Amino acid sequence: MDNRKCAQEIYELVGKRENLVSAAHCATRLRLVTNDNSKVDMKKLEEVEGVKGVFSSNGQLQIIIGTGVVNKVYDEFLSISGMTAATKADVKAAAAAKQPLPFRMIKALGDVFVPILPAIVAAGLMMGLLEGMTKIWPDMANSGTYQIFHLFSNAAFVFLPILIAVSAARVFGGNIFLGAVIGMIMVHTDLVNAWSVAGMLENGEKIPQAVVWFGLYKINLTGYQGHVIPVIIAVWFMCLLEKKLHEKVPEMIDLFVTPLVTVLVTGYLTLTIFGPVFSTLEEWILIAVQWIIKIPYGLGAAVAGAIYPLTVVAGVHHMYNTVEARMLSTGKNTWMPIASSANFAQGAACFAVALKTKNQKFKNLALPSSLSAFLGITEPAIFGVNLRLVKPLICGMIGGACGAAVGAMLGIGATAYGVTGLFGFLTCADFIWQYAIMLAVSFAVSFTLSWFLHHDKTEEDGEAAEEAPAAPEITCESGKVYAPIKGNVIPSAQIPDETFAAGVLGEGIGIEPEEGVVYAPFDGEISSTTDTKHAVGISSPDGMELLIHVGVNTVAMEGDGFELFCAEGDKVKAGQKLITFDIDKIKAAGYSTTTAVLVTNSDDYAGLEIKEGACEPLDCVITLRTDEPAEEAKTEEAKTEEA
Amino acid sequence: MKHFSYTITDPVGIHARPAGIIVRAVKPFASSFTITKGDKSVNLKKLMALMGMGIKCGDTVDIKVEGPDEDAAAEALEKLFKENL
Repeated sequence: MDNRKCAQEIYELVGKRENLVSAAHCATRLRLVTNDNSKVDMKKLEEVEGVKGVFSSNGQLQIIIGTGVVNKVYDEFLSISGMTAATKADVKAAAAAKQPLPFRMIKALGDVFVPILPAIVAAGLMMGLLEGMTKIWPDMANSGTYQIFHLFSNAAFVFLPILIAVSAARVFGGNIFLGAVIGMIMVHTDLVNAWSVAGMLENGEKIPQAVVWFGLYKINLTGYQGHVIPVIIAVWFMCLLEKKLHEKVPEMIDLFVTPLVTVLVTGYLTLTIFGPVFSTLEEWILIAVQWIIKIPYGLGAAVAGAIYPLTVVAGVHHMYNTVEARMLSTGKNTWMPIASSANFAQGAACFAVALKTKNQKFKNLALPSSLSAFLGITEPAIFGVNLRLVKPLICGMIGGACGAAVGAMLGIGATAYGVTGLFGFLTCADFIWQYAIMLAVSFAVSFTLSWFLHHDKTEEDGEAAEEAPAAPEITCESGKVYAPIKGNVIPSAQIPDETFAAGVLGEGIGIEPEEGVVYAPFDGEISSTTDTKHAVGISSPDGMELLIHVGVNTVAMEGDGFELFCAEGDKVKAGQKLITFDIDKIKAAGYSTTTAVLVTNSDDYAGLEIKEGACEPLDCVITLRTDEPAEEAKTEEAKTEEA
Repeated sequence: MKHFSYTITDPVGIHARPAGIIVRAVKPFASSFTITKGDKSVNLKKLMALMGMGIKCGDTVDIKVEGPDEDAAAEALEKLFKENL
């Protein structure tokens, strides 16, 4: 099959670029959002070679192509249509829009960071190891290989704003390349490297400045290396602006006007407003921190140890080098133990999550992230795990506070700066056992709290959204029937009625109801109702037909005790109330209440799997097997039985 | 093409069970089946559609059978209607 040809034909049949809003794909389907579905020639689409089926659901046009091929067709589709990969995040953003603002912000931060985690985990581990090793063997710093490795280790951090900008542009639905440009502006080599600023100030060098806004004020021409928040704010603004411009600017000139104006306006605002405002905030934080650590009896250290991870989130932690350098010029570096406790505690909290979680994918992420934190690089642990779950972050903050207080009381002071965590021993040669106690306290407090407070549930919520990106839009998976009634599920062969049991009406299940309410078992259309209100037929957009027949022989009750909440032709959503019935009345009339839930066109499927036993409404109870392997992959926990 | 008319005598009409029996009975035949009541016609091989007709006792329906095995099919179906409905 020719993927390019297939994509090209689909592109033409859906009404080309002007009718396309977004494109995404899942394991088997191309999922397109169009401006006007009526412009789509569904019949012809089905005839395209490589297309196994087409249907439209919740405004999404879904084209079944198949595992392994759909991604290739998707890539071709993107290249033909000139669209950019997006939308997983769009869908998530739509789902997240309902949450309160702080949660949305944390979620946005997580969404931006998760895709780039592999890059920063690699860099973090490498950086931690290299820095530690040079403390053990100082000569190593002169080796060529070390210099090359060092370059590798900090590349991701030096250019972090670019990685973040690209990822943020995807999350906020802007053009990722324009996002990259904003990131590049922020770390442009013509700006003074943010990491060098502290040193330059220390040496009394002047930071170059530029007059902006027609002479209104001056800004420091410094870059934003290692920064997070200003980049995200800048790109978020860029995406808003870009979308507005796409709406307003006439199409003829949109192609050059929009990117030009977007970059100009966003870039200027970033360097003259977002950045400086943020830098000022940074300075205030620094002043505040220096004031806090002067509070005696370990209290100040405890507060600083607690808020340290928050300053990492804000991306201002590299400014602490200034504090440390100043301390060293007058004595010992007492900031380092605080930072070390805080980092170690975040690592411990992350480690607890890694050990406890049953989600393998998450475990694989949390384990190396915690290791990196033990070596002093906490970004992967904080952004990848702790901040997303919130609780481990707080546990880590408490642990960090305890450790920092202990460190201050024991009077630990380092003789250098730059390393924390395990390698911190090397700069605290006079305080080996004190340093060990401090780390142990941080670890124990943080790990214990995190271990007991972390429950997989909250984390699964986050993960579920990630693994099933389209879930918020399409609540139902195709080929699945969700329990319409609360009760006990039995195989259809055990329904106390020959016709149902023999499968004359199709294969399925019986439910011995505990509650007299029938809910829609998936999104679909009511295909039939009866005057006697005891049965309803519903069909799904992809052609599954289901009959829900309440009780056996209840047709003879002529509607008494039943109430119908839907009509033929109604579009219904899973979970919508369809029928209520009076269990006692059915029993009093001498009939079985066992309700048949049958796939009347089960012949069209390869088979079906059912989940027996107690069910709550909308538990998945029937999974239809088709020739698409992806559909059945997700049903491992369903107790299978060939019906 | 064969066709016959039938007046339903089953007191509850063509509800789920008889509809199932009819659909099962006609599926093996290659012919196409259409059932008409008033101005509504549906394919007899579609259970949901048949149930959606809401055919009651006393209704007269018209059934058309068309295809290579229409003779046998029409005969079998008429027998089924008489026995069950």
